[in-house]
Formats: sequence, C-alpha cells, structure tokens
Amino acid sequence: MSLMPKTPAAAARASTEVQARGSGRLTLTRLLRDPASIASMIAILLIIVFALCAPLIAAWTGHGPTEQFRETGLTPEGIPVGPNSEFLFGTDQLGRDVLVRLAYGAQVSILVGVLASIVASVIGIAIGTIAGFSGGVVDTVLSRTMDLVMSVPFLLCAIALVSVLGPSLSLSIAVIVFFSWTGLARVIRGQVLALRHREFVEAARSLGASRTSIMFRDILPNLVVPIIVYTTLMIPAAIVFEATLSFLGLGIVPPTPSWGNMLADAANGSLYLVAWWMVVVPGGALLALTLAFNLLGDGLRDALDPAAVSKGKRA
Amino acid sequence: MARTTLRAAAVLAVSTALMLTACTTAPGAESGDGEPQTGGTLKVLANGDVDHLDPQLVSYVPTYNVMRSVSRSLLSYAASDDAAERIVLQPDLVEEVPTPSADGLTYTVTLRDGVTWGAPDGARPIVASDVARGIERLCNPHISGALAGYFQGLIAGMAEFCTGFAAVAPEVGPIKEYIEGNEIAGIQTPDDRTIEFTLVEPASDFPFMLSLDAADPAPIEALDALPDSPEYRRGFVSSGPYQVAEYTPDAKLVLERNPAWDPESDPLRKAYVDGIEMTMGVEGDAAMQQLQAGSADLLFDLSPSPANIQQLKAANDEKFSTMENGGVDQFMWMNTASANNGGALTKLEVRQALQYAIDKSAVVQTMGGADLAGVTNGIFGPGILGYQESDQYATEGGKGDPEKAKELLAEAGYPDGLTLKMPYRNVGTQPDIAQTVQASLERAGITVELTPVPPTDYYANFMTNRDNASSGAWDIALVGWSPDWQGGAARSVFQPQFVFDGTPQSYNYVDFDSDAANELAAEALAAETPDEAADLWHQVDEAVMADAPIVSIAYRLKSNYHSARVGGFEPYAQSQNGDWTNVWLTK
Repeated sequence: MSLMPKTPAAAARASTEVQARGSGRLTLTRLLRDPASIASMIAILLIIVFALCAPLIAAWTGHGPTEQFRETGLTPEGIPVGPNSEFLFGTDQLGRDVLVRLAYGAQVSILVGVLASIVASVIGIAIGTIAGFSGGVVDTVLSRTMDLVMSVPFLLCAIALVSVLGPSLSLSIAVIVFFSWTGLARVIRGQVLALRHREFVEAARSLGASRTSIMFRDILPNLVVPIIVYTTLMIPAAIVFEATLSFLGLGIVPPTPSWGNMLADAANGSLYLVAWWMVVVPGGALLALTLAFNLLGDGLRDALDPAAVSKGKRA
Repeated sequence: MARTTLRAAAVLAVSTALMLTACTTAPGAESGDGEPQTGGTLKVLANGDVDHLDPQLVSYVPTYNVMRSVSRSLLSYAASDDAAERIVLQPDLVEEVPTPSADGLTYTVTLRDGVTWGAPDGARPIVASDVARGIERLCNPHISGALAGYFQGLIAGMAEFCTGFAAVAPEVGPIKEYIEGNEIAGIQTPDDRTIEFTLVEPASDFPFMLSLDAADPAPIEALDALPDSPEYRRGFVSSGPYQVAEYTPDAKLVLERNPAWDPESDPLRKAYVDGIEMTMGVEGDAAMQQLQAGSADLLFDLSPSPANIQQLKAANDEKFSTMENGGVDQFMWMNTASANNGGALTKLEVRQALQYAIDKSAVVQTMGGADLAGVTNGIFGPGILGYQESDQYATEGGKGDPEKAKELLAEAGYPDGLTLKMPYRNVGTQPDIAQTVQASLERAGITVELTPVPPTDYYANFMTNRDNASSGAWDIALVGWSPDWQGGAARSVFQPQFVFDGTPQSYNYVDFDSDAANELAAEALAAETPDEAADLWHQVDEAVMADAPIVSIAYRLKSNYHSARVGGFEPYAQSQNGDWTNVWLTK
C-alpha cells in the first residue's frame, strides 16, 4: 500500500481533507503526545484545585488551619499523632491538622510561585529587551547590574532584609523577584542581540517603524518561546525559594501555614524522628509540585521548539 | 503551707545528718552503678563555649561544672539525685557553714587545713587574703562580674571600694595596684585562715551567695593579667582537682589532674576521672547519637530534644533524668509603659483578664507534658526557698477561663477584645509556645500579632531596649528567668526583675515596683530561720502577683542524659547536670 495519491483527482480530493493547523494547536498536539507533560499538567491542576478547595477541606474535616486539638491531636507529652481517621495526614506539634494546613499552605506556595515568577519575568523581559536592543552604554550598565544582582548571596541578603523590615508575604515575594529576574533577562538580551540584525527588523526599520514599534511588534513575538519556558521553570524555583525562607523563619509568619513552615516544624526539636508524616506530607507535596512544573517546562520547550527536540533527543 | 514546712524540716534534718557524716560519706558512692573506679577521660560535648574562664565573672549555668573542677568555692553543694539534699549548703574551702552573729550582720568563716593553689612554682596554701582578693576582683573597671551587684550592695564598704575602682584605668598595673592597696571595710582577715564578712543589712541568703564561684578566692597570679583575657586563661591557677591543660576558644577545653589538690581536704569531690575533654561546636542530635553510641559521655550546654526524650522514654532508658532548677520558663511580661490600645495594659483588670485567659496546661503540653514541665502561678519556680503552690487567679487545671477573662475585659472597657503585639524568639520551641499562647488568648477575644525576633537579639537588643517598651514595640512578651544560685535564691529572682529604685534595670522591662513587696522582701532577708524566710518570700510573691505585672505560665525541668559507661551520675545543683568531679567511667 502506498500513501501517495494515485491520480490527480485523488490528490485533489485528499488536499481538501488537509487543514492548515495553527502553531498553537500544533504545540498543544505535540504537548499532548508527551505523557510526562500530561501527567504534570494533571498534577498541577489537582494541586491548584486542592489549594482552592482549602476552605472546603477545612469545613469537611471540621478543623481550622490554625486550630489546635490538644486532646485528640496530641499525646499528653505534646507529641503529634499519626494519620488516623480523624486526621488523615496526622497532626503537627501543636495538634493542628496537617491535611488542612497542607491545603492552605498550597495557596501560599502557588500564589508566591506564580506571582513572583510573573513579576520577575516582566522585569526580566523589560530589562533584557532594553539592554539587547539599545546596546552601548545602556547595555553595559544593565548587564553589569544583572551581574551584580547575580553575585549577591541570596540567603545573606534575605536574612538582612527580613531582620530590618520584619517578615511578611509581600517581602518574601519581593526578595524572590529580586533574585529571579536576572536569568531570563540574560537570555532575552542574547536573543534580542541576535534578532535585531535580522532581515525582518531591517525591513521594518526601512519602512520607517519606530524603535518602540520594532521592539513590541517585531522582536517581542519572537521571544515568546523562551519567555513561556523560562517563566514556567521559574515557578518551581520560586516555590522552593519561598519554602526556604519560611523554613528559616524568614518567610510567612506563623501560625499561617506554608509548606516551608511545616517542614521547619518537623525539623524543630528533631520531631521528624517520631513524626515522619510531618516531613513526608509537606515534603512530598513540595516535590510533586516542583517536579510537575519542571517537567511541564521541559515539555513546553520541546513542544514549542520541535527543532530543539530533534537536536537534543534524537541526534 | 504544710508542704513547705515539711520540706524545710526535711532540709534541716538532711543537712544535720550530712554535716555529721560529711567526712566519711562519699556523695554518690551509694548509687547503683557498681563500684566507683578511677581513671579514664570524661568526654563532654558542647555546642557553645564557656561564658568565662574566670570564676569572678562566670554566670552561665553549664560553666559551673568547669568551675566545679578547677576552682573551689567557700561553700558548695553535694551532687545528689535528691532535690532537697542537692540544695543543702555544704562547706567546701571552709570548715563549716557560717551562722550569722546575733545582729545578723557578721559571718565568720575559717579556711580548712590543706587547701592549696596549684601555682606554677608548686603547691601553696589558700589564705584569707586570697578570699578578700576574689571579692575585690568582682567590680573591676575592665569587665565586671554579672553577679557583682548582689555583693556590692550587701558587704559593708564594698560600694565605696567599687566606686573608687571604677575610676582606675582598665590596665593590669593600675588594677593590681588598686586591689593590693585598698580593702573592703566589711571583709576582715584577722589571721591567714579566718575571714569576717560584715554586711550593711541582715541577709539570710548570704551563705548561699558564698556558694557562687563569683566569691571564690583569687590567687595573686590572677592580677597579672586583665580579667578573663587570653593571658589570664593561660595563666589560670587552679584550686580544684583539675587544671586547664589546653584551651582553644569555641573548639576544645582539656582538663588534667591538678597535682596540688589534696583529696583529704575536699569532702565534696572524688575526682574519679583522670581528665576531662570538652569538644565544642556539636549540634544537639549529633551529640545525642554520640552519647548513645558511647563515643562521648556527657552534655555541656545541650539537652535531649523533645523527640529524643520521647524515644528514650519509650525505650525506658534509665540514663535519662530530669531535675527542677528553680526557674520560671515561661512567663509573660505585660507592657505597662506603652500607650497602645489606649494604655489598656496599665489597667489592673486587663492584666488580670490575661491571667485568666492563658491556657497554662497547653503550654506545658507544648513543652513536653507533665514529665518535663509544670504550671507555675507566681514569680518563683519550684526549688527556690519561698516557692509555694498557690494561685490568686486559679482556673481549673490551669486551662484558663476565657469567659472570666472576657468579663474582666468588658469591665475594663474592652468588650470587643484587644489586639496585642507579641515578639517571639525564632528558636527551638519558642515559636510553638508563642502560637499556643496566641491560640489561648484568641479564645478570650484577644488577637495576638506575632513578630519573630532573632534569638541573639531578643534579650540583648529588643527586650532590654527601653525605647521598645515605651514606644509600644511590644505589648506582651514571653521570657524565662533562672535564679542565679540555688536554694535561698529568691533575692536573685525578685531584685533584678521586680524592684525599681529610680535607675532602670535591664530585666525590669517596665520599671515595676511594689512597696508592699519591697517591705516584705526586706523582712524576708532579715529572717532568722529558713522557714520564716520561705514564708515571707511567699508573701512577696503574692504581693507582686496582686499587681499582676506578669502572667506566670510554666517551669521546665532540666533534662539530662549520659553515656552507658558513666557511673555515679548525680546532678550538681549549680550546673544542673551530672557532677564532672564525682562521676566515674566503667570502661
């Protein structure tokens, strides 16, 4: 059997069945062919639903996120109780339901992760584009600023800032943004440098397009792929940043739950020795969410840029 | 009441018995760890360093074990598992525990025969002038002893001596010249073995103060270097069974036998081990693993974590033990100096409402339950002369009474509750305790805003900064307090925290003062018998709590652990840990 049409008539018939597909659809199709991407998308969706349903979970269990169950959730010695029918994921050192706290903590993690990544991307895109497009002194100044930010030790700076300003959600986001935008800015700058001498840019310029117009109408659309991929990959990094800050007591102020706080509670007083669920539950959730975002980021990169796939995977 | 009388009677009985048998009975020799053996090196694990290696300056509880080994005090305590016996004064360098003269102002002590300095040029007897020199060193212009204040206000002429000393240049030469050229009027040394202390007012707890290493004698060599300088530490002359062989700050302290020490002259120390090696920079969990594996023996400033304790108790490990230490940890100060909430906390009803609001039993549970902590209701913790179980603001089981608290708040004009700022230390179980207090105040309609403060800044820069109190940076704050010595130590709880004489004190954060309590305290210090003193100190406690400046919440037991090869582990009251000079190693 041959797939080639045998006659011109058959070819014409066949051609009416071929439809031009948009690049978005092509990407989606490629993405859906990758089982890892599908699994990670499902995982992320489930975690988002879990986070949104936190109040429902609290209502269903009857346990508030900061409510302490000193009789049923703790032994008389103050040791947390393990998973049972009342507390599905056990309790923490103050007799609070780990399941409910996990759900409320997911809100914090996702909020911080997504918000910080978007803000950081916007800053990164703006600075990267300006640096790459302007060149000269502006480029030098902006590039050296990126180097400077990248060379500041993250934790040291975070600790200093938090001790002066006092920990809060907005400060956590600000710190994460400050340390996250540089990577994307560098990539964008490199891309812009390569793009700005391409023919279509020359053409636009010769047609009298303004610099702003070239930047937004000609160059930016060509940067969509790295932006999407980088922003997706920035989310898990931001989530881990937030967990790190909270773990060190520099992030979310107790009693508000966050996954980092929950892990810190387990490490505190070596409680993990007697209460494994205090590590495994938030740690597993953190692992699942960051792994899902990372796999999705990889899948997106492959789907958006098929050339890279053949080079990377099948060469 | 009945309980205290019984206890005091027991203390007296035991002390009489001990005095009679002090020379023949070895403390700890009867414990069931087999026969005491001599030899071996005791390995101690520490996280941090000693606070000072200078007896006059030491005030850090774990360091008292180092001092026990290298510096003998005038009076001391026997290491014992028995809480009452542990705080009975025993003569150390002196022949017997002194009793006051008829007017309560003079105490005379006589040094033992055979007590010596391990001086570089060979053993030399400790004489009366060394004792005077030790106390004179307390207030030097370079760095003054943390406990100097107690002596300064008490020994006749010492305040003048210290005022003059403060004007001396903080250098070796002038300091030595001043100490050798001046004397404190209230310390007389009629001969080489007799010292007479004259006080400005009666102080029934003065003998207890002589058990502090701050009052240890100092050899003439101590004046050849600035107090606690590296040169001082190198040239340290020991009077105890051990001397410093090697010391690297924050890394290692090695003690070896002091050849000048005469066991015959020392009823309190058996000195079974040949050497003591303290390694610093070890973390809690790692230290516990080493102890359990037998590669180290004792802990210095570390304690088993709550999870460790849970496991040790589950395994019925007899090497784990707890002891009372007289402290109240935690209690909550209420800021009466700020104008927050319209000065709400200056109103007695509001402060009383907080007394009723807090669920003390929940805090005890957070601290590890009834085996590791207990509820307190006054300024004194169990183990101090003057502690009695009583509560002006009693609630059932210490669980608090939110309804009563709400009532009192409404009476005071706050029917809708209050919002209070509470700083907390970001270390150990402190965040948990803060959240427990927050949850219990929530029940009474009081919202608590928590602010974390780095643990090293909490006392040093936050609480003791008076601007933070007056500007309302905090409304309520959890702190702990341990008495500076054991037994008759009520003064060291009351005076630094609850007396304001015009000059601000570091730990009386809001300048609390009560005339009624001050009068009772003066009577207690002049009391003739321990019973009478205990009773009066209890009344001081009640007088302070009537004003409700603090919410007393809980006391914590000190938990200790040791390796399997340690025998005769009995705690020494001052260090709240096994006595280094009375344990032995079985292999």
